[in-house]
Amino acid sequence: MGDHIIETSGLTMYYGHQRGIIDVNLRVRKGEIFGFLGPNGAGKTTVQRVLMDVIRPTRGSATIFGLDCQKQGVDIRKQVGYLPSELSLYPNMKADAFLQMLASLREERVDLTFRQQLYERLNLDPSRKMKTYSRGNKQKIGIVAAFMGKPELLVLDEPTSGLDPIMQQVVLSLVQETKDDGRSVFFSSHNLPEVQAVCDRVGIIREGQLVKTDSVETLTEQQFKRLQIGFRELPPADAFDFDGVTETKRDGLTVTLEIAKGLNKVMGIAVTYGIEDIETLPVSLEEIFLTFYDREPHGGNRA
Amino acid sequence: MTVNHTGAIVLSLLKHELGSRRLAVLGWGIALALFAVMYIAIYPQLSAQLDSFRALFDLPMYRAFGMEITSFEGFIASMVIQFIPIMLAIYVIMSSTETLAGEEDKGTLELVVAMPLKRWHIVLVKATALAIVTLLILTIAGVGGAIALVAIKTSLVVDLTAMQLFLGILSAWPITLAVLMIGLFFSACCPNQRSAAMATTTIYVVSYFVESLAALVESLDTVKAFSVFSYFDSTAALFTEGIRAGDVAVLLATAAFFLVLALISFERRDITVGQWPWQRAKSGQKN
Repeated sequence: MGDHIIETSGLTMYYGHQRGIIDVNLRVRKGEIFGFLGPNGAGKTTVQRVLMDVIRPTRGSATIFGLDCQKQGVDIRKQVGYLPSELSLYPNMKADAFLQMLASLREERVDLTFRQQLYERLNLDPSRKMKTYSRGNKQKIGIVAAFMGKPELLVLDEPTSGLDPIMQQVVLSLVQETKDDGRSVFFSSHNLPEVQAVCDRVGIIREGQLVKTDSVETLTEQQFKRLQIGFRELPPADAFDFDGVTETKRDGLTVTLEIAKGLNKVMGIAVTYGIEDIETLPVSLEEIFLTFYDREPHGGNRA
Repeated sequence: MTVNHTGAIVLSLLKHELGSRRLAVLGWGIALALFAVMYIAIYPQLSAQLDSFRALFDLPMYRAFGMEITSFEGFIASMVIQFIPIMLAIYVIMSSTETLAGEEDKGTLELVVAMPLKRWHIVLVKATALAIVTLLILTIAGVGGAIALVAIKTSLVVDLTAMQLFLGILSAWPITLAVLMIGLFFSACCPNQRSAAMATTTIYVVSYFVESLAALVESLDTVKAFSVFSYFDSTAALFTEGIRAGDVAVLLATAAFFLVLALISFERRDITVGQWPWQRAKSGQKN
């Protein structure tokens, strides 16, 4: 297993003729929070379902804890907490009975005090039948089910979906505490700020293919830089109009540039107009994410 | 995972499956008991009028469908024993196809499959639960019928004992079990409950008519052996000669065969995808 808790190699899944995922090579390290990003239909859920052996890949392999997800699924699943994307619960069962049933299916005894703490932190009353819960409360039941056994690995598909902002923060705290405890989290999300807030590394999946895997820090630093330069003399409008550079704003003598490549060339041109002030502006993960989809952060296409 | 722990998990899931069906046990058990009680209760008043129907029930059409009312035993076999598995089939087909395909439709199967259980454990637990549930339903119906028989024996002289009637009603269990496992098999390989229920119902209805009409249509004699109803006795002989062990063995073997097919199908399938087996096979051939 080495340092990797999840490892996939050439993982490919077709649904009949339809593409699910293609040649996904993914490595999630032990003790890290790994965010899995991609729009609807990109293949995030497919990867997670293959890992849980809910579906079988067309080709390729997937291991968790060094164990084969198909052949040794039972040994894997007893150490994994799973929250599916479209959580469906038994409508006529009470939440506490359902969670008790799931708890009885774990090899290690579930810490009842911890489960109670989860109820309180998530503001969940588990004494009702599940058909009476709102979508958000059903999601909370799924979260309790995934976290209560303190598993070595949590596989969470859109864990904050349907939750209000306060509860989203509670879930992110739980994810962070899992990491602090030395355990690992693999979660997919659409909510890029939350991924940026808690994840150590992210994988970006596009049309079934993993296009980038890196730490959040490296991604936001390396993908492109945003410089705000104050000039003594305003450069002409086309001064920075070349490959790898986009001028995004002009405000008086201040020009904002997004630079994917050619920083030296930019600086060479800039000094000829006299640099009064220079500042590196932060780039959000959302902006980085959108570059993989050829879209400007605020709409439009990136050349 | 230790064997003991696997056993505990399986028992826990079985308890959940049985618990979720307790209302069905009571509802269907009481309904079938009332059905049996009704026919038993009306027999003392009906028996005097049955002579006028005898010529009608001698017609080949009625004989083909196993109708025979010349005795109390024949009346009970024709009117109660014969129809119990037919009525119970509604529950059996719906619940057996609901248990895998239906749960997949609703989305609840994903969490079950993600539990630390082998797929065959899940199928076996669900099959066992349904087998126990149908046995309990028939037991309630049998007890109800037996009590009614004891009650009318004060006003009617019949040879049939309460135990014979109880066992007669219980004799519907092997055919019920066979249909249950056929339903479970279709549930394990069809992409949704509707397809699974349609396939099981078609087999059940065809099976019933093949067996019934074989008495009238000679050419059906060869295929009669494939009908589960050929191994279910709903004539007075059930009470006078007892349950035929050979028939029970064939029905149990049929149930076991389809259970094995269900285990194999479910072991190989993708959950949440809703594909037919050949579509799944096509996915596996992509390069």
